[in-house]
Amino acid sequence: MFLQQLVTGVSVGGIYALLATGYSLIYSLLDFSNWAHGEVAMIGAYTALVVSSTLGLPFFLAVVVGIAGAALFSYLNERVAYRRIRHNNSPNMFLMIAAMGLSTVYQQAANLIFTGKYQMYDFRLPVSTIQIGNTYLGILDMVSLVITAVILIGLIYLINKTQFGLNVRAIASNSYAARVLGVQVDKSIASVFLLAGGLAGVAGVLYGMKYNVFPTMGNVGLKAFIASVIGGLGSVPGAIVGAVLLGIIETLCTAYINSSLRDFFSFALLIVLLLVKPSGLFGVDVQDKA
Amino acid sequence: MKKLLSLVLAMLMMASLAACGGDSGSSTGGGGASSGGGSDSSGGSDSGTIKIGYISDLTGATSLWGQAGLDGAMLAVEDVNAAGGVLGRQIEVVGMDGKGEPADSVSALRKLIEDNGIVASIGTNFSSCNIPMASVADEMKVPILGTATSNELVTIDESGNLHPYSFRMCFIDSFLGTAAGTYAATTKGYKTAALLTVAGNTNSEGVGQFTAEAFEANGGTLVANEQCQESDTDFRAQMSNIAGKNPDVLFIIMNDYSKIALAAQQAREMGLTCQFMGHDGWDSGELASAANGALEGSCFLSRIGFNSEAGKAMSERYQEVYPNKGLETEILFGYDGVMWVVDAINRAGSADPVAVRDALEATEVFEGLIGTLVMDPATHNPSMDCAIFECENGAFQFKEVIKASDLVG
Repeated sequence: MFLQQLVTGVSVGGIYALLATGYSLIYSLLDFSNWAHGEVAMIGAYTALVVSSTLGLPFFLAVVVGIAGAALFSYLNERVAYRRIRHNNSPNMFLMIAAMGLSTVYQQAANLIFTGKYQMYDFRLPVSTIQIGNTYLGILDMVSLVITAVILIGLIYLINKTQFGLNVRAIASNSYAARVLGVQVDKSIASVFLLAGGLAGVAGVLYGMKYNVFPTMGNVGLKAFIASVIGGLGSVPGAIVGAVLLGIIETLCTAYINSSLRDFFSFALLIVLLLVKPSGLFGVDVQDKA
Repeated sequence: MKKLLSLVLAMLMMASLAACGGDSGSSTGGGGASSGGGSDSSGGSDSGTIKIGYISDLTGATSLWGQAGLDGAMLAVEDVNAAGGVLGRQIEVVGMDGKGEPADSVSALRKLIEDNGIVASIGTNFSSCNIPMASVADEMKVPILGTATSNELVTIDESGNLHPYSFRMCFIDSFLGTAAGTYAATTKGYKTAALLTVAGNTNSEGVGQFTAEAFEANGGTLVANEQCQESDTDFRAQMSNIAGKNPDVLFIIMNDYSKIALAAQQAREMGLTCQFMGHDGWDSGELASAANGALEGSCFLSRIGFNSEAGKAMSERYQEVYPNKGLETEILFGYDGVMWVVDAINRAGSADPVAVRDALEATEVFEGLIGTLVMDPATHNPSMDCAIFECENGAFQFKEVIKASDLVG
């Protein structure tokens, strides 16, 4: 039973992880929490839904278009809103407020266009599980865990072993120095938004396959944010560990205590961590967790 | 500056006057429509047409139901008048738009009583509207019959006192829960059960509690009692716990078909092999396909709707008269509401609202399109026949009727 709950917790945390890494990447560059990130995932999920159901595209292609759609919107957020604010030398708080505004706009727009109804993809994996001892593994869970793991390993490689990753880390460390040394800061930041948007798109489609597609599904971004704070804002491996940890804590709390207290424990953990270890499990010293 | 202020004030006054005027003229939709002829005598007098009110949302977002109920009431008027009326008089239904809002519904009721002299009023289909309307009905001594109003406060106030002039035509949460628990333990013969409800949702928690109590009262044992949150989409932690107890049946008392479908699928993922049961929150044409096979063999209890012989006949007649409209249960409520009032007038031998109220309260059994209704004079909550729907080959099918008398007897 306990093992089953752990497995479920890891599966819940896997989705958080895909979003949490996006939060962390953007935070590491711009020192602000991109509150519209969850809605970018929602846009990805709806794009795949519309493309597969109205255009009749095969599901695999629809997923690709959905991920591209999420990446595009993430890029547009940066290009239209955040970049302007940065270039105006406005406080980082303005970026966060803009992100909150975008989040609300996207959610309301989805509500107007698609109504609040839960919708599902035509493509569905059968409701079946693999039993190992007393533990059940859902087919969709395994598929999504494998996809998540492959993507996250790829992401860590990209950040640590490539020129692009070096540029990103340089900007994260000191954007002024990076610019002086020839790094194209705006271009790199735009690329990170594309990348984070793509990750959110994958998370959105996987979440949609598992739990249906609906306008407020982006609220899961809040959990991903908590996960990234637990792991240490700005740290990609930290975000992954934080996400899995949060998934497990939530599941165990629901299973053994009470589902009503689940969010209480998640947020209590967040507060305790901010008081005791503000830099999170893996993070560097952080001054401003806006 | 003063001139400008005066102008603004004058415009405001004109606007508010216009608004008042608009409100008083809100008898739209089927307002005043009559299928009977004759004079304008009030319902309480000895001659002329007997008027019955119908209040619902006739113009807004939920007017689909309101218009359907009014249509049903009009069909009943046709039938009654064709058969010679009641007490030798023709009847007439006056529709009034309550917009699905408590304040507008109360205004509509006052207007129907004061201006139209109705003997009784049918509707609304919202508990939120009928709760304030009940006090007005008591004060003005004209009975009202809520249709799909399941909240306990529609007929009993917060202090536990009966609203003498407020009735309802649907079953309440406790009745449906009791019916589900009893059916599971007796007819289905389940020995152990688990329960999943939504924390903070009064309907889910209420029905769930009564289901569990009835199940245990009939010899069953509740082995797991789990809750989830309204916004949850992942129920696997709860389902793992339930799977560990291996119950014969799991009651999923939720009101959103997509969440029920998710819960059922995740239960199967966690190795639960038992059947699932639910209440009228499951009553959606999309549930079975959304569950992707996870609900095969499961069942729920709900209204009979158009599945009885009489209901089928009404659905055919309705679609003939209104070929472009869909079938809504409110049609049956509207029809039965008029028929129940006519039945009460007949038994009272008078169209006086107070006498009609007494006769409504004294109703032992009313046989309508919605099934058999057994009135409890102490609470004005009817016991009613309900129906079992079972999932076969990927779709829920009407299975059988459970007689109210079997459940309350």
